[in-house]
Amino acid sequence: MLSRMCGGFGMLGLASALGSPIPAHFAPRAKRVIFLFLNGGPSHVDTFDPKPALAKNEGKQPEGNLFKQAKGNGFMPSPFAFKSCGQSGIEVCETLPHLGAIIDDCCIIRSMHTDVPNHEPALLQMHTGNVQPIRPSLGSWLLYGLGNENENLPGYVVLRPTPKIVVGPALWSNSFLPAEYQATSVITSDMNVEKLVANIRNPHITPGEQREQLDVLGELNRMHLSARNGDAELNGQIKTMETAFRMQSAAMETFDISREPASVRARYGETPFARSCLLARRLAEAGVRCTTVYYTSSDNQPWDTHNNHNERHPKLCADAGKAAAALISDLKQRGLLEDTLVVFSGEFGRTPYSENKDKTKAGRDHHHTAFSTLLAGGGVRGGYVHGATDELGMNAVDKPVHVHDLHATMLHLLGLDHERLTYRYAGRDFRLTDVHGHVVRDIIA
Amino acid sequence: MMTILNSRKFSVAACIAAIVAGTVAAAEDPLAQYEREVRPILEQTCFKCHGAEKQKGGLRLDQKEGMLGGGDSGEPAVVRGKSAESHLIKLVTSTNPDEVMPQKAERLKPEQVAILKSWIDRGAHFPESGASADTSTSRRGITDADRQFWSFVPLRRTTPEIPADAKWPRKPLDRFILAKLTARGLSPSAEASRAVLARRLTFDLTGLPPTPEEIESFVADTDAGADERLVDRLLASPRFGERMASLWLPLARYAEDQAHQVGDDTKFFYPNAYKYREWVVGAFNRDLPYDQFIKLQLAADKIAPDELAALGFLGLGPKYYNRNRIEVMADEWEDRVDTVSRTMLGLTVACARCHDHKFDPISTDDYYALAGVFASTRMVNKTPDGRIEKENAKAQQMDPTVMHVVEDGDVQNLNVFIRGNAQRKGPVVERRFPQVLCGPETVAFREGSGRRELAEAIASAKNPLTARVMVNRVWGLLFGRPLVATPSNFGHSGVLPTHPELLDDLAARFIEGGWSVKALVREITLSATYRQVADSDAGKAGRDSDNALLWRMNRRRLTVEQWRDAVLFASGELNEGTGGASKELGDAGNLRRTLYARISRLKLDDLLIQFDYPDANVHAERRSVTTTPIQKLFMLNSPFMQRRASVFSARLQGMAESDDARVTAAYRILFGRDPVSRELDMALGFLRKPNASDVTRWEQYAQILLASNEMLYVD
Repeated sequence: MLSRMCGGFGMLGLASALGSPIPAHFAPRAKRVIFLFLNGGPSHVDTFDPKPALAKNEGKQPEGNLFKQAKGNGFMPSPFAFKSCGQSGIEVCETLPHLGAIIDDCCIIRSMHTDVPNHEPALLQMHTGNVQPIRPSLGSWLLYGLGNENENLPGYVVLRPTPKIVVGPALWSNSFLPAEYQATSVITSDMNVEKLVANIRNPHITPGEQREQLDVLGELNRMHLSARNGDAELNGQIKTMETAFRMQSAAMETFDISREPASVRARYGETPFARSCLLARRLAEAGVRCTTVYYTSSDNQPWDTHNNHNERHPKLCADAGKAAAALISDLKQRGLLEDTLVVFSGEFGRTPYSENKDKTKAGRDHHHTAFSTLLAGGGVRGGYVHGATDELGMNAVDKPVHVHDLHATMLHLLGLDHERLTYRYAGRDFRLTDVHGHVVRDIIA
Repeated sequence: MMTILNSRKFSVAACIAAIVAGTVAAAEDPLAQYEREVRPILEQTCFKCHGAEKQKGGLRLDQKEGMLGGGDSGEPAVVRGKSAESHLIKLVTSTNPDEVMPQKAERLKPEQVAILKSWIDRGAHFPESGASADTSTSRRGITDADRQFWSFVPLRRTTPEIPADAKWPRKPLDRFILAKLTARGLSPSAEASRAVLARRLTFDLTGLPPTPEEIESFVADTDAGADERLVDRLLASPRFGERMASLWLPLARYAEDQAHQVGDDTKFFYPNAYKYREWVVGAFNRDLPYDQFIKLQLAADKIAPDELAALGFLGLGPKYYNRNRIEVMADEWEDRVDTVSRTMLGLTVACARCHDHKFDPISTDDYYALAGVFASTRMVNKTPDGRIEKENAKAQQMDPTVMHVVEDGDVQNLNVFIRGNAQRKGPVVERRFPQVLCGPETVAFREGSGRRELAEAIASAKNPLTARVMVNRVWGLLFGRPLVATPSNFGHSGVLPTHPELLDDLAARFIEGGWSVKALVREITLSATYRQVADSDAGKAGRDSDNALLWRMNRRRLTVEQWRDAVLFASGELNEGTGGASKELGDAGNLRRTLYARISRLKLDDLLIQFDYPDANVHAERRSVTTTPIQKLFMLNSPFMQRRASVFSARLQGMAESDDARVTAAYRILFGRDPVSRELDMALGFLRKPNASDVTRWEQYAQILLASNEMLYVD
C-alpha cells in the first residue's frame, strides 16, 4: 500500500505490465500534448480575434463591470490588419503570417475565459485548474492517467528559456500525486545537452568505466536480492538502474537539437523559444507524453505588455508564430500531428482598451473575461473558429469556454474522462477540473 | 399591473399547453398539475443530478427553495409566472450541447417543455417541502450510529487470547500480534541477527547508521538488558529528536517561503522558520508529553509564552496571493483547518467546506466553527519577548530573534459560506469543536480566538482520535506500515486498522503513561514483533502477501534524509551539529544533516523532490516511495555522489594497507557486516583494472557501494 514499485518515470515496473494505471476511458485521439505557453498573456484583439468595431469606438471608455477602473485612453484598435487565411478563411492578424498559412490545421477558440485577471492565479488555473498552488498540474494528471510512452525518457518535460518564471515550479507540480508523476524541468538557455539535463552524464569517467561499474553494481545488487527471496521492490531498483544507464544515451540523443539539419532549424527560427519548440518536437517524436514550452525571457513574462504594446507585441508574435507554425507543420510532415495535441495560449488576454494615458507608450492590461487559444492536431477540428466575443472583444459571449472546459476537452482528446480521472487524497477524490468542466465537443474533428 | 400581465400570459401559455399536451391544464388546480404532470418529468430527467442525492452545480430541483433560489450560478431555475425568463426552460430548450439539460438523459419532448412552461407561467406552484434547502447547507445531525464508528468510540483495552505459556511475546503489543497471527494460521519469523538489529534500531531512532564499533559492542554485549541499554542510549541521543522531526515536519507542511513570489518581493518569506524546527527537535528530545506538544503548537502564546516557537505550526502556514480578498483568506483558513484536523485528529474536516462531509459526520457548521478560530487568528512577526515587528519589514531589517507566529486577531464567528462561496452567506456558526467529538452539547469557544480551547479539546484524554492517530504514525515510522493505512484519515473513507485492539491498547497506555513518545517508541522497538527478520517466506506470503499481520519485519527504503545522511556519514564528512538556520541542500559545502535543508514551497530542492520528500504546500499524510531513473542518475552522475565517493575512498585508503582490508572496512562501515568471498573477489577484480579516466578505480568502487541497494534499504 505504501510503497509502489515503479521502474520508470511514468508507469514502469509493476504498472508497465498493466499498461497504465487507469484504463483509457475511451479511444484517445491524441497520445501526447505540447503546450506552448505565452507567459504574460497575449492580446486576443491583436492575434486571433479581429475587432473592427474598436476603430469606431476608439477613445471611448469601457463601461460595465470592470475588474478595475480603466485609466487609459479608452478603446484601442489593433494597428495591424487581419487577413482571411487558408481555405477556411479564418481571419488572423498579419503579425502571425506563419500561423495564418497553416490555419486550416488549427482551431481557434475565441471565447476563452478564466477567473482572475492576475498572473499568478490565472497561471495556476491554466496549469492546475485551481488558483492556489495546491493541486497537481495537467501534465502530472496526464502521466498519472496514461503512464509513459518511452521508459528511457521522462514522461513530462518542461522547457523554459530562463530560470525565472512567474509562479515557478508550482506550475508543473505533481502536488499530492506520487513523485513518479513529476515533471523534469529543463532550462533551455544553453542547448548543450549536458547543461540541459541534470546528471545526464558523468563527465569524469569513460562510458566503458561506467558500464563496468554498473556490471559490478548489478551483480552485488542481485546477490543482495537473492539473499532476500527476490523482493520485488529491490528487483525494481535493479531494473531502474539499468533504465537510467540507457536513459543517458537516449536523452543525450533526444535532447540534442544540433542533430537537426540547418534547414529545419531555420524554419523554426534561432530564438530561445524556437529552439525549445524544436526540442519539443524531438521529445514528442521520442514519445514524451507532455511537454510544456514557456515563452519567457529576461523580461520575465514578455507578453505582459503594459506599455509600448504596439511595438513589443508584434515582435513577440513574429517569433512565437513562426516557431509554433514550424512545429505544427513539422509534426504534420512526420505524421505526428494527428496524435499530438498542440496548444498555443497564455493565461489570459489583454484589454481591448489602453491602460496608460501616454499614447506613445500605450499598453494593454490583463483581461480575463475573453481571450483566444489556438489548438492543432490530436483530433482537433482544423480550420474552425469556436465561440465569439462581443463586438469590442470585452467578454466571451457565444459558446464561452472556461479553462476547466479546455482541460476537460484536452483530457477527452487523450482518452480520459475528466470526471473519472480522480485521485483519492485527503479523504476525497480530486479531479483536474474539480467539480467543473464540460467537454467542448464542437472543436473535436 | 404585474398580475394582469401575468394572467394574460398565463392564459396564452395554458392554451398552448392544453392543446399540445391534450389536457385540461388550464382548469386544473396548479398543485395537482405539479403532482400529475410536472413531477414525473422532473423525476425522470432532473432529480438524479439535482435532487436529494446529488446537487450538481449546487442546484436542487426537488424542493421549492432550490427551484426558486437556483444553484451556483445564482440564477433562479424558475421565475414564477415567467417561463421565458426561467433558466430551466432556457436550458431544456438550448441548442448548445454543452449547455442543454438534461446532460445525461434524453432531450425533453416539445410537449414536456410545454407542460413545464405552462406550470411556470401559472405561478410554479410547488408543494411545501418542509425542509429548508439551499439557504443552510448544514443539515446533518449526529446520530448514535455516527458516534459508534470505530475511531470515534472511546479507547478500549482488551486482553488478546493467546496460550498462557506463549514464549514469544516480549512486550504487551506482541500478544496482539501473536493472537492475530495464530488465528490466521501464521507464526512469527525468526529473530534478526544482532548486527541487523543494531543497524535497524540506529537508523530508526537516529536516522543514521551505527558505526562498526557500535555494532561490535552490541553484538558482544551478551548481558541481560543489552537491548534496553542500546535503545535507551539511542533515545537519549540528540539525534532522536532529529529523526522524529522528519516525521512531524511534513505533517506540519513546514517550509520557509511561499509558493507565490511576485517579482523580488519576499516579504512573506519566513527567514527564521528554523526556530520552529529546532523547537520540534527539542520537544521530542526532552520527551515533551504529546498532549503538551499539541497544545503548545496551537496556543503557546496563551499557555507558555516562553515556547513561542511552537506556534510555527500555524505561523509558517502558506500565505496566498491577494490576501486582501475574502476568498483568498477563506483558502488560507482551509489550509489551517486541513492541517490541524488531519495532522492531529486524522479527520478530513476541510472536505466540509462546501457541503457536509460526504462520508463522515462532519457538517459545514463544524467546518466553519473551526475556520472561525483561524479567522480570529492572525500571523505576526514576534520576538521571544513578545515584541511585534511589522509584516512588511524586510528580513534584513528585522530583529534576528523574530519568529513568524500567530496571535489572536479580530475575534469573529463566521457565516457558513454556502457551497464554499464566500459571497453567499449562510447562518453564523459559533466557534467550537466538531460535534461528533463532543458530548450531546457542544460548547462554544469563548476565550479570544478559541485556540486554547481547541488545543485542549484536541489534546484531551477523552478525545480518542488524538492518541490513536499519533500512535499509528509512530508505528508507521518504525514498521514502514501503519496500522491504519491512511494515517491522516480515520474517517469512513479511510482504511480500517489491521489491529484495532492493538491500536487502542497502545493509545490507552500512551495516555495513561503521560503521552510519552519515548516510552511508546521504547515499547515498540523492544518488542518481539520489531525484532523479526525482514525476509519473506513463500508459505506465509501466500496467506498474507502484504505482511499486514506482521509475520515478519518490513524491509524499508531509507528516506531521503536517512540516505543522504548515511552517505555523508560513511565518507566521514557529516556535520552532526544540531539546530540552526537552514542551508540550501544544493550548496556543495552543505555537509549538515538533511533535516537542516531549507524547505521551499516555491522551489523544493531537486534532490528532495526526486527522493519523495513531499510538497510543502500541503499537509503530507505520508511519503510516496517511488523508484525512478532520475534517482539513479543522481547516484551515477551527480557531483555530490562523485565527491562522496572520492572522500570515502580516501578515508578507506587511510584505514588499511591492503585492498582486501579496505574492502572489508568499507562493508563494515556501510552495511555493518564483512563481505562474503564473492563480494571480495569482485571488488578486488574491479580494483585491479586499469583506469581510463582520472577517477581512480577505488573512487569508482566506492561509488558503486554508495549507490547499492544495500545502502538504500534497512532490513
